[in-house]
Amino acid sequence: MVEALIKRNLKTHPQLNFPDYKSSRLRAPKNKKISFSSTSTEISGPVFKKDIIGKLDNDLTLNFSKNNILPIGHKIIVFGTISDQFANPIEGALIEIWQANAAGKYLHHNDNNTAPVDPNFAGCGRYITSSKGYYEFITIQPGPYPYPNRGIEWRPMHIHFSVFGKSFGQRLITQMYFEGDPLINSCPMVNSISDKKAKQSLISTLDTSRYNTKKLLSYKFDIILRGTNQTFFENRKEGL
Amino acid sequence: MSDIKTVLDETPFQTAGPFLHIGCLPNAINIEGVFDNDLGVKPFANKHYDKFITITGSVFDGDGKALDDIMLETWQSDENGVYSPESGFARFVPNSLTKKFNLYTLKPGFINNIDGKAQSPHILLSISSRGLNMTLNTRIYFEGDDLINDPLLSIVKNSRNDVSSLIAKKIDEDIYLFDIFLQGDKETIFLDI
Ligand SMILES: [Fe+3]
Repeated sequence: MVEALIKRNLKTHPQLNFPDYKSSRLRAPKNKKISFSSTSTEISGPVFKKDIIGKLDNDLTLNFSKNNILPIGHKIIVFGTISDQFANPIEGALIEIWQANAAGKYLHHNDNNTAPVDPNFAGCGRYITSSKGYYEFITIQPGPYPYPNRGIEWRPMHIHFSVFGKSFGQRLITQMYFEGDPLINSCPMVNSISDKKAKQSLISTLDTSRYNTKKLLSYKFDIILRGTNQTFFENRKEGL
Repeated sequence: MSDIKTVLDETPFQTAGPFLHIGCLPNAINIEGVFDNDLGVKPFANKHYDKFITITGSVFDGDGKALDDIMLETWQSDENGVYSPESGFARFVPNSLTKKFNLYTLKPGFINNIDGKAQSPHILLSISSRGLNMTLNTRIYFEGDDLINDPLLSIVKNSRNDVSSLIAKKIDEDIYLFDIFLQGDKETIFLDI
């Protein structure tokens, strides 16, 4: 049986040309992308082995700490599942995250924000999903931060996510937001997505059922990667 | 197989922003001691270097400025046209002074497609950066190869007269030039993969 990726529904994705987000003006291509059915190139992809993941890779409160000093800020758990569009959990998916520290500062030479660097916080983590597609990070609540756009604007609190599924065509780079953050609604990057439900799907929810287990606030963020379907060639279904 | 399965919406993309190196290439920006190695530093760690080619180029914005705050990723087959999950992935950034990227890799072979037809040798290239609300994807084909029967290039030709933005120019023995234009007269053809 031949499995191909189901077509991407661009209506649930951001607009590339979104002038409210100033940086997109000189970078977003003007021409329409060319659509085609999957080939062997897009349905294959790199698979990362669990042995690349170190013990502290998914604990951002410890993976850069010096002399066991914890980073400043309140510690949170970010967790969820990765599944495909047919709700099949994806095992072995690689998640890489990056974020600002509690003061809204990135450990990056291009970050001009005057907020302080936290010497015990790098802001990067990675994880490979378990058999049920589950992942978990322990981190610090990232702060909102100012950036130049239409004058100075403020990004809502967020964590950047990069995900590899089973195939390169499933590759996803996105951002997770936090339930209740008043800055979400005015963010041009969020608003580059016109579909309300799609926008909502990027907002993690506070999971109160975990209050008592680890004494940490827990946010749930489930990710859905593209699904695969049987595909047709020359009007005949392969493999039936 | 049932045809009435519910199809959930894919999680939407968001821009990778200007600080993507922290998560994807921390060692490259001197965040050391968190991950042992950045991923995709070598696309084929176990292959012979004497067979490698270099693909070089820049990514230009709508003002014709060569960008360096971007991340490029490539996915490709080996010299026999075979995809394997352990190798063929690379991740790199342009040099901050020259604004040029260099991909040192195997030249892929003709690739057997899922429909049994051959695809001409090519590399899938993706670009993520601030200002890009979604990752962009394109393909690198190679000047001098037989490109006439490639299925994807045939599809592209149905809607675009000029497919040359998808073809790397041979500028020397084993050196290819592949510049990418995000906008303008020479805008690169991007793919909805
Ligand atoms: Fe950010």
